[in-house]
Amino acid sequence: MGEIILQMKGIDKTFPGVHALDHVDFEVRKGEVHALMGENGAGKSTLMKVLTGIYTKDSGTITYEGRQVEFTNPREAQKAGIVIVHQELNMMGHLTVAQNIFVGREPRKGIMIDDARMNTEARKLFEQLSIDIDPRETMSHLTVAKQQMCEIAKAISHEAKVIIFDEPTAALTDTEIEQLFKIIRDLRQRQYGIVYISHRMDEIKRITDRVSVMRDGQYIGTLISSECTKEDIINMMVGRVIYEEPKTHSHCPPDAPVVLRVEHLSAGSMVKDVSFELRKGEILGFAGLVGAGRTETVRALFGADPKDGGDIYIDGKKVDIRSPKDAVRLGISYLSEDRKRFGIVLKKNITENSTLATLKSYTKKGFIDKKREEDVTHNYVKVLKTKTPGIDQLVMNLSGGNQQKVVIAKWLVNDSRIMIFDEPTRGIDVGAKQEIYELMSRLAEEEGKAIIMISSEMSEILRMSDRVLVMCEGRKTAEFDIAEATQEKIMSSATRDIDMQEAAR
Amino acid sequence: MKSALSKFKSLRLVRAMGFNRVVLIGVIILMYILFAILSPILHEGTNFVSYARILSALNYGYFIGFMGLGVTFVIATGNIDFSIGPVMFTSALISGYCMNSYGAPLWLSMILCILIGTVFGTIGGFFVSYLHLPSFITSMALMLVAKGVGSIFTKTQAVSWPDLSSSNGWYRYLVRAGDIPTGLILLIAVAIICAIVLNKTRAGRYMICIGANREAVRLSGVDTRRWEMLAFIISGTLAGVAALFYVGAYSTVQPGLGDTFNNEAIAACVMGGTSMAGGLASILGTVIGAFIVALMQEGILAMGFTISYQYVLTGLIVLGAVIADTLSRRRRN
Amino acid sequence: MKSKAITKNHAFMQRLVILVVVIVLYLFFYAMSTSFRRYTTLIQICNYMYYILLMAIGVTFPLITGGVDLSMGTGLICYSVIGSYMIRINGWPVWAAMVLTIAMGVLVGFINGTIIARLELPPFIVTLATMMCCRGMGSILTNNYSGTWPAAAEAEGWFRSIFRIVTPDRTPIPVGMVLMIVLIIIMSFVLNHTRTGRYIIAIGSNKEALKLSGVSVARWHIAAYVISGFFVGLAAIAYAATFPNITPGTGAGFELDAIGSAIIGGTAMSGGSGSVVGTFLGVLLISLLKTGLPFIDLQANWQQVITGCILLAAVTIDMRRNRKRA
Repeated sequence: MGEIILQMKGIDKTFPGVHALDHVDFEVRKGEVHALMGENGAGKSTLMKVLTGIYTKDSGTITYEGRQVEFTNPREAQKAGIVIVHQELNMMGHLTVAQNIFVGREPRKGIMIDDARMNTEARKLFEQLSIDIDPRETMSHLTVAKQQMCEIAKAISHEAKVIIFDEPTAALTDTEIEQLFKIIRDLRQRQYGIVYISHRMDEIKRITDRVSVMRDGQYIGTLISSECTKEDIINMMVGRVIYEEPKTHSHCPPDAPVVLRVEHLSAGSMVKDVSFELRKGEILGFAGLVGAGRTETVRALFGADPKDGGDIYIDGKKVDIRSPKDAVRLGISYLSEDRKRFGIVLKKNITENSTLATLKSYTKKGFIDKKREEDVTHNYVKVLKTKTPGIDQLVMNLSGGNQQKVVIAKWLVNDSRIMIFDEPTRGIDVGAKQEIYELMSRLAEEEGKAIIMISSEMSEILRMSDRVLVMCEGRKTAEFDIAEATQEKIMSSATRDIDMQEAAR
Repeated sequence: MKSALSKFKSLRLVRAMGFNRVVLIGVIILMYILFAILSPILHEGTNFVSYARILSALNYGYFIGFMGLGVTFVIATGNIDFSIGPVMFTSALISGYCMNSYGAPLWLSMILCILIGTVFGTIGGFFVSYLHLPSFITSMALMLVAKGVGSIFTKTQAVSWPDLSSSNGWYRYLVRAGDIPTGLILLIAVAIICAIVLNKTRAGRYMICIGANREAVRLSGVDTRRWEMLAFIISGTLAGVAALFYVGAYSTVQPGLGDTFNNEAIAACVMGGTSMAGGLASILGTVIGAFIVALMQEGILAMGFTISYQYVLTGLIVLGAVIADTLSRRRRN
Repeated sequence: MKSKAITKNHAFMQRLVILVVVIVLYLFFYAMSTSFRRYTTLIQICNYMYYILLMAIGVTFPLITGGVDLSMGTGLICYSVIGSYMIRINGWPVWAAMVLTIAMGVLVGFINGTIIARLELPPFIVTLATMMCCRGMGSILTNNYSGTWPAAAEAEGWFRSIFRIVTPDRTPIPVGMVLMIVLIIIMSFVLNHTRTGRYIIAIGSNKEALKLSGVSVARWHIAAYVISGFFVGLAAIAYAATFPNITPGTGAGFELDAIGSAIIGGTAMSGGSGSVVGTFLGVLLISLLKTGLPFIDLQANWQQVITGCILLAAVTIDMRRNRKRA
């Protein structure tokens, strides 16, 4: 490990209602791979966005190569030598590999772009990295792994000194990961400073030198990777405070009838042979890392995306769900992780949103029964304690928590029996979170709703679920009763464990 | 001054109509005064202030208004329909031709006229909602088809609907009975129905919500394709209705024309506060917008200018309204 | 490597299919109608083709950025009318009118591009608005002058020989084809081997990524519309050199022939890919239909219906293909 090349001190960033970064410190040395860890929402991405000038910080200093710097856009950071390797975002699929790498600084011969020279130089870059990619290949035809390698090559060609990898292995196969690690080790050798963001514990040990942990926007500490254990890191990541009251036993009676049974569900590349059961009054937690295929599973179940195979039974009867319309008719509801895009109609008011799924029963001969519609909305605003000046308030003017309540109201109005909550507390402040939790428990225990809850927050999974289903890379990897579930068990099923994968095959 | 403005804004009638609509009515009055003053100056011997001129402007406003009402539904869903003008002409051409050459009774021709509009709307709606084609290119292709079909059917001949004096002339009372502008009454009646459909029925609610956030509506278990298609059907049907009011006022239709009118109908919509981005629509605004377009046309001609000025102004109005809408939305975010 | 070969083949196959369709269609007309077999028919096809092809080459560029230019048709007539007005009423030499015609195209293209790129408004609305403006402007500026450009026999008629030369024994030779082929080669080169073309493709492929690469996106985005405007200017000259009379306020719908040709030729409505050669083949198909249909006793009006249907079919195919890939 060499000298410090990048140092961030006391970085502070507040968004309306959220203290995203609370005086965070972080440093990178030349020739080290520095892991940045933390649960989803701990502030890793925000920190990197501040570093590369996508966000401006409220306070704190960034020192890079001995000078204090302030980037106002990613372009400046890139020029200075700080580059993020994104998962895909950054490529132009219709252009070739070499054209992508040299976009914005093409070598020219007169007015003509010198594609031949571009290809030669790209080939040289790939040789340096010992990557086997044809620079003339169209970008969109490459695998994700190769696209990523192109991004790395692009970073190097920009004379980057600090390279940030944001969950680089999320979509890679084992051999591809090996290749990537070889490249990263090589870069370390050549004195690049590398920031490595990942959730996969085994990788931290394998590839990184130091690991810094963040939690709830705060910097927790830095460990030497070779000297710490997985448990040390997990302890720092999870912290004690949030675990006030994990569920100790299932609140669902063991003889509760099975409401939903899914067998061998497959859809696209993200859902492979998933089977599970869901009982009346039960909260089934879907644990796993971002990108594990949980959302895709429930979307396929809900009919939002096409299925490739598998059967769905409701109350023991086989059903055919081809569109959300079918699912809703069968009493299934889906509360998307991305509320603003998939959950609510921002430009419309609470009433209109609340009855969106059930409008038919509030219409007489096509005419909307305004009175009944408003009554039911009033009722749910009261029951759910939605904070709003009135039911004619546009949803875009509500806070995240109250928007979520509007979505919940929409499905309660529909009297859904099976409710799928996808990251129910994302973007919701602490106080409102509590309310949503209580509400979900009440729905399950008192109203007998069968609930699937997808969550990437360990604390949420342990606190809410009666049973935990863990997914990893499109497959179900484990299922625990809450009494047996521990963070460690869940984490190790959710992170890639080569042995287990082998066993599963 | 400021408080007076806010007081005005909070008046019950103003609130019910929407401030922008009140401003538009102000614009109409101002335009009228402007034309009244300018036309005798610019074009000697013209008297703009006459009942005949008002009736003439109204005649233009009717068919623009009916088309505008229809396309308001389409724009509300976040789409666009460029075919309504030619569809209007084609409806009038084919049904008129059936009457003149095949002796179809008037009532049948009128029904046929509306139905042809419905058919075109249905085809356009199918391509857009079920096959997911971009609406602007779909409706432009349909515009060609409509023009061509109209020309083929009539062998490229203009078609005249019967005069008031002929036995079949009673349909003209739809537009005007003596000095009574019956067309205005009918337009308002249809506008009220449209407003009810848009604001008080499930169909209207879904259309607007689809325009605001299609995916959210689909994931709420609504078959969005059906309602999206319905918007196009309404648009086509009202283009057919517009055709009756066009021939009722001007009697003759020519094949291969009509596309300037859909631009004017769209201009009426966007002026009235219907957002091209979808999810926001005002029927009242469209009606007022249609009359602004009509008055503008009347005024331009009265001042001795050619209709070309109308084209340019319509273009600028669309551009201005869209820029204003986009910028105000961006500021809010 | 394999996948590359496949897509290369795919694009190639599509062009081959169109070429085959064009040939089959030609043979069909040839078989059906004796008068179609005349040499003058070929000349007629060329005449129809020039202005559509020029517009189509131009619109290929906005289409590749994921946009569209609807102002081409009325723009073409507008510039052409103003050009003739300048020659006939103001006594300009033809070359000056030609420069003016092209300059007006470039200006309107620049206005379109600037509004679209800087204000990020939907291209179809912006160009719709300029389409309406062009429709009126032509007659306003010329006081509703309905004009012609100098005939071949007139003193200033030389410009017509850019497109066709009539030999002493009255046989016309479509020399314009040479110009067309040169322009196709040049624009293919611009699209594939210059920064302008590269960035225009990149804008259609992933505008945000291009922005992050430090390229001033707006500039190249505007360039796409300037190119389209420039070619409308050329098309206006070609139109004036072919058709005897130019009526102000017409021209709406020409752009659909051009857009349809480009899409048939494999340019994606969603942007990111397209080819000038493909566009050329699309134009061949459409102009062959336009000229050929009357020979098999279908009224000229069927052209519109058929163009409309082809456009719908081409867009449907384009949407299907691109959705499958996504």
